[in-house]
Amino acid sequence: MDEVQLLERYLFIGALLFGIGMVGFVSRRNMIVMFLAAEMMLQGVSLSLVAWGRFRNDWGGQILVIFILTVAACEAAIALALVLMLYHRSGKLDVAFWQTVREANQPRYVDHELPDEPLTVEHWPTLPPAGVEPVHSVEETIHRSHV
Amino acid sequence: MTPAQTIAIGAALLAGGLWLQLPRGATRGRWWGMVLAAVGIGILASLLLTIQRAHPVAETVFFAVAVTTVVSAVGAVTMRSPVYCALWFALTLVGTAALLLFQGAQFLGMATMVVYAGAILVTFLFVLMLAQPEGHTYYDRVSWEPVLAACTGAVLIGLLTASIFLPTEGVRQSGWKFDAVTAVTTDARQQEILDPDHMAHLGGQLFSRYLVAVEVAGTLLLVALVGAVAIVMHGEQKRGGRAPSSGAVAGGGGRVLPEVGHG
Repeated sequence: MDEVQLLERYLFIGALLFGIGMVGFVSRRNMIVMFLAAEMMLQGVSLSLVAWGRFRNDWGGQILVIFILTVAACEAAIALALVLMLYHRSGKLDVAFWQTVREANQPRYVDHELPDEPLTVEHWPTLPPAGVEPVHSVEETIHRSHV
Repeated sequence: MTPAQTIAIGAALLAGGLWLQLPRGATRGRWWGMVLAAVGIGILASLLLTIQRAHPVAETVFFAVAVTTVVSAVGAVTMRSPVYCALWFALTLVGTAALLLFQGAQFLGMATMVVYAGAILVTFLFVLMLAQPEGHTYYDRVSWEPVLAACTGAVLIGLLTASIFLPTEGVRQSGWKFDAVTAVTTDARQQEILDPDHMAHLGGQLFSRYLVAVEVAGTLLLVALVGAVAIVMHGEQKRGGRAPSSGAVAGGGGRVLPEVGHG
């Protein structure tokens, strides 16, 4: 396959991942989903870097992605610790709960009433009964230690 | 149609599609959003992607993986339930790993699977299990400014597409003969970045030219570890040394709450 075209395709997919991740980061309110979106932006950058590295016949791109992986791992550790702490304080993962730390001249964000979600009946998979139920011995039931 | 118009139309459709799919209190029109976003991405991609009939298998694999990656990426940021978000993101990671393998970056493909899907994502799900209440919460059903967010993202993607498309337009006209620009021959690439001894080359580079950076990255990992422990310990002390209990799910009662509603 032609190398220029390969580079172009990977840059495009990288741009898509980055853009979609950015939309997720700025619009979602669940802190964990925001964090996922940030990781997705990193994925987009990684794809672009590897594509450039191959195009220029240089290992720098892949090496840089290894460091991105390292930083992403650090970020995950810190961010999840922070998310858990914030959750323990507020009882929810809502980032709007912390809007008291906004700039003084910004208006307060007010939640609107939402109609209740229509109740959906969940159909969970069930296992059909297999074989014949064995006879339970009374002894065993009595003498079994309660865990 | 000029390329600029094509990019504008594609970006506009993508913005509309993303807006329809983002949580905004209503579930109406999500399928339309999917269709619109797909058409928008398709229009943007039609500028860039010319299918090469010489390699049908490689093309099929590439497009299958690419479509999976992008579709699951959209799913990961638009799903209401955070658990579904995490699962779609796992699919994105698998797609990214496959794309990296397709580029010949074998180590990174595996590392993405192991580090991201294996470690980070599982930690996510763990935290979700600890913290997520039943059903869709209010804040999962609405977004901050979905219109603006979708427009910003689409404009960014459109501009990036333009900046990828414009420099290579001359190459496209000439039928993809471009090797003179990088001056990298296929042979050189086979001996360097596509060498069968991939790991040997990568490790050699990592521990010679980038040795200092490796040490710094190791230090960073240590600092992050200490930091994470410190954050958790600090929170424990704030709560009077009590162990984190599952009672926190109900939220509130006697905990340190920030003041909401002032200012």
